[in-house]
Amino acid sequence: MKHDAYTVTVAKDLADLIPSFMDNRRKELETLRAAASASDFDELRRLGHRMKGAGSSYGFDLVSTTGKTIEDAAQSGDAEAVKACLAIYEDYLAKVEIVYE
Amino acid sequence: MSKTVARQAPTEVSTAAPAFRVLIVDDDPDMLGFLAHMLRGEGMDAETAADGTEGIAMVQAAAPDLVLLDVMMPGVTGFDVCKRLKSDEATAMIPIVLVTSLEDSGSRVQGIEAGADDFLSKPVKREELIARVKTLRRLHETRRELESGRLAGEIQNREAIRSAFSRYVSPQLAERIIADAGEEGELFSSRAQRVNVVALFADLRGFTRITESTEVGSVVDMLNEYFTILTDAAYHHDATIFNMAGDSLLVGFNVPFPQEDATRRAFLTAQEMVSRFAPVARRWKDNYGLATGVGIGICMGEAILANVGSPHYTSYTIIGNPVNTAARLMQTAPANEVLMCGTVYEEIQSLLPAEAVEPRGEVTLRGKQEPIAVYALRIPVTE
Repeated sequence: MKHDAYTVTVAKDLADLIPSFMDNRRKELETLRAAASASDFDELRRLGHRMKGAGSSYGFDLVSTTGKTIEDAAQSGDAEAVKACLAIYEDYLAKVEIVYE
Repeated sequence: MSKTVARQAPTEVSTAAPAFRVLIVDDDPDMLGFLAHMLRGEGMDAETAADGTEGIAMVQAAAPDLVLLDVMMPGVTGFDVCKRLKSDEATAMIPIVLVTSLEDSGSRVQGIEAGADDFLSKPVKREELIARVKTLRRLHETRRELESGRLAGEIQNREAIRSAFSRYVSPQLAERIIADAGEEGELFSSRAQRVNVVALFADLRGFTRITESTEVGSVVDMLNEYFTILTDAAYHHDATIFNMAGDSLLVGFNVPFPQEDATRRAFLTAQEMVSRFAPVARRWKDNYGLATGVGIGICMGEAILANVGSPHYTSYTIIGNPVNTAARLMQTAPANEVLMCGTVYEEIQSLLPAEAVEPRGEVTLRGKQEPIAVYALRIPVTE
């Protein structure tokens, strides 16, 4: 499900790490797309698993939940579900706003 | 893959104690960055490795105080790293925290089997991370304190042994006895042992004249000078000193540890005793008009090695025929002469200058029934 805006609250002390984190997410989206086109479910599962671990650690819960969905969909070889996830993830990365506190 | 090694000194910590060092192993650079940031915030040193192979190499190069280890890594997994470190004696004691997915209970079972000390759920909650690491740091510090206390006790014990036994044996031999003592600390067997020994007795010719003609204070100084030379020579060739009485000294070779070249060592010791005492004898002659010199007897054979005495006083001693024979030989040896039994002579014959050796034939020594072959060796000294 797409939203008009996404707001994420991140601990202030992590501010320095966020630009690199966001940069890695955008690269990750490209890698996910490439893996989905190639129907490389192993790679999709690995990437989903990684998103799941990193996302919420930084405060980006949607990265974790999307990651888990991708991991599960890849596990069952569900290409459609993966595609739907990638659309949401793309929208999220384009619109997410970060609030530090 | 890039490797991030960053050590950041905590700003508020001013003590000299080394920082707690944590190695983080994870193939995700974002997790590495996040975990390292959290630990540094707690004043710890955080180093990072981007895969299992690099992690193992870093632990082996410089053992950290704790390892935070991701499980799902391509190639060498976290389980592999854990098993590897726990099976190596050098790294087995380093606590390992496996970082696993929250819902993955199978991983935890596998982690326990691999030897992991604790687990941390991913995504990581900073409170949980800090709490777990702090607990392990406390454990680590307690263990380190206990260990340094135990080591201090052990060192104290060894120093006591060293100072006690270095009176009898050379420092090298004392080291070896301590090393061989084992954890029970049993140094010399309390039971008597039959051993092959090379016994060397030395005494000072002309000593009776010294005690009669010289004042007491000087006698003690002179004896100390004489014994210093003799014990130095004995230690120099790893002899064990068994007895010092009046002006005579009994040392043994091949005890308490076997010495392949025991007779050679005895010969070299005798030679060193005589030649190093010679300048002292010259000085005494000039100063006091005394004719002195070292006379030596050497014999080998089976003897009994034991702690002999009462509960109040014991002496580490060799008893038996070779010791008695060496004493008798010493008594008849004039200054600068070494008298030895045939068995000793046969073993060291090749080392001796033929012109300095004089066979004395079969001699029946005082208190002995059987005659033995005796050889005399003159040690040349400049008069």
